[in-house]
Amino acid sequence: MEFSTLRDLFIAGILRGGLYALMALGLALVFGVMNVCHFAHGEFYMLGAYMAFFALKTFGLNPILAILFATLVTFIIGALVERGVFYPLRRRTKEEWVMNTFLLTVGLSFVLQNLALLIWKPKYRGVPIYWKGLVQISPTMGVAIDRVIGFLIAIMAIGIFWLFLRGTQMGRAIRAVSQDERGAMLVGIDLDRIHTLTFGLSSMLAGIAGAALLPITQAYPAMGTGPLNASWFVVILVGLGNVGGSIMGGFIVGMLQTFSYYFLKLGWQDVFSLSMLILILLFKPSGLFGTEVKGILER
Amino acid sequence: MQKVERIPAIALRTRLLARLESVGLSLAILGFLAMLAIAPLFIKDEYILHLMVVSLFFGAQAMAFDFTAGFINIVNFGFAAFVGLGAYTSALLAVKLGVSPWLGFIAGAIVAGMLGFLTGILTLRLRGIFAAVMAWFVGLTLMALTAAMVDLTRGMRGLHVPLFLDTTARRPYLYILLPIAIMTYVALRMVTNSHIGLAFRAIGQNLRAARASGVNPTKYKVINFTLSCAFAGLLGGFYAHFLGILTPDIMHTKHTVEVLALSYIGGRGSLWGGLVAAFLVIPIFEYLKPLMEIRLIIYGLFLILTMIFYPGGLAGLFQGIGELIKKRRRSTESGE
Repeated sequence: MEFSTLRDLFIAGILRGGLYALMALGLALVFGVMNVCHFAHGEFYMLGAYMAFFALKTFGLNPILAILFATLVTFIIGALVERGVFYPLRRRTKEEWVMNTFLLTVGLSFVLQNLALLIWKPKYRGVPIYWKGLVQISPTMGVAIDRVIGFLIAIMAIGIFWLFLRGTQMGRAIRAVSQDERGAMLVGIDLDRIHTLTFGLSSMLAGIAGAALLPITQAYPAMGTGPLNASWFVVILVGLGNVGGSIMGGFIVGMLQTFSYYFLKLGWQDVFSLSMLILILLFKPSGLFGTEVKGILER
Repeated sequence: MQKVERIPAIALRTRLLARLESVGLSLAILGFLAMLAIAPLFIKDEYILHLMVVSLFFGAQAMAFDFTAGFINIVNFGFAAFVGLGAYTSALLAVKLGVSPWLGFIAGAIVAGMLGFLTGILTLRLRGIFAAVMAWFVGLTLMALTAAMVDLTRGMRGLHVPLFLDTTARRPYLYILLPIAIMTYVALRMVTNSHIGLAFRAIGQNLRAARASGVNPTKYKVINFTLSCAFAGLLGGFYAHFLGILTPDIMHTKHTVEVLALSYIGGRGSLWGGLVAAFLVIPIFEYLKPLMEIRLIIYGLFLILTMIFYPGGLAGLFQGIGELIKKRRRSTESGE
């Protein structure tokens, strides 16, 4: 095994991990704050990609504006979905909330994916490139500039989001709700507003990922499945609801996949990843970094 | 004097009814099954018969699914993969070793049950959502493996499987599947009516209370999960020798979602609800087939609306009507 190959694989893993971190962050956020197990997260990734495509091709915007447009639209769609679906469910169910929301998002995923299929037809829509050029990252590997910028956008989005959670009034309110819902209510936080905001933000993070990667993965209705599976893998690995850990986990899974794709035959990578996950859950059921959300083991 | 003689006959009949009821065969359900058994004799249209087989197949799957989802409150999100595992086991035994399909599909049930047992032992001590997600990953892995092992399964090109019978006429297959479905229902009902079923329900409703009364949740959950997976495998084996061709697509999550939607529309914890829902929903959807995407959108919307507004499903609806009638009758009786 050459050192240069290892190094290039490592870089590819990091680049892939940025996307997973961004996706998983949204998933962890929704679970941490709303206790929703989100199965339709991939669909917002898909919407992001479509929105960027239309902004670029139909409205003729430049790539940066297109990504911003996708960000805004996925946020709005996410907030609307929360109002239309989770809000009424929250009014009605008290028990079995976690399982119910999981099934609800399954239905949501069906609806969104097939709506996309209905409106946009099973046709690949992509742009060949946002920006031209290659970056010589190491002596043996050049990476398309789009890939690097996509990664930087992911990192930037994560960074800004982190600052938002730490530094602003609203971010603090979100964290308060994730720690103790009743306590947050007592100090005058409007829970409904926070839930809508959280779901919108989470959808937005997935949308950014989809938009930033448009030159690499073209937009089509079922494109969300892969990123969804990977981001679920991440949040289970690090511990459900652990927002900070999911960023780290994104990179771990990106690395794991890149290496196993290189070394193992098709199909066996999944077996490898799954065995890793089962081993970790066997010895550390609360995930690699643990979680603040109570009740991983049924006690 | 004559009255005295008649009592034993009545008692015998009520005892028989009670006995049937204890295995879940109440009069309404017996009527439904009898209708299923007799109707095909008068139906000549192959297409309708095919629809009936498919509905029964999905209905039986929904029952096996509901056995975990409705009783211990764990959603087996890799359900389709267990169906597929049973199908492939039986198919490969027939293709590679020449084992008769009649034995093969039982082997399929055993293999699927064994994998279910392993998955259950590893994940069922964790919270429900973990078991659901892990079963999902197991399903994804199985599907990826089936697609990848081209030498064995021919992957996406599809595996040709010998049929149960030399005919492709649908009526005989309906009469093969019907006893399997009835057996599935009666077996699952007998378990849920026994003390094991009581433990299931206790676990599903209030885990802490169940534990306090000496129930070991993990043990019962594993029993439940294993049984459900075994029946999934059994039905998969039937499907393989009914359709004659298998692709890894049978394990896709979307099929799990279809079964899940049926069992939830039918009503959780009722077992029979999924069967009835299948016979209502699948023919309607078949009718809507030209509207491919709209059909799936309706599926999704159905699931969402049931979850939000009518968690009891069809079974809850029937129960509501039954209680209403009872109340009406009681009020008229007291009025007299």
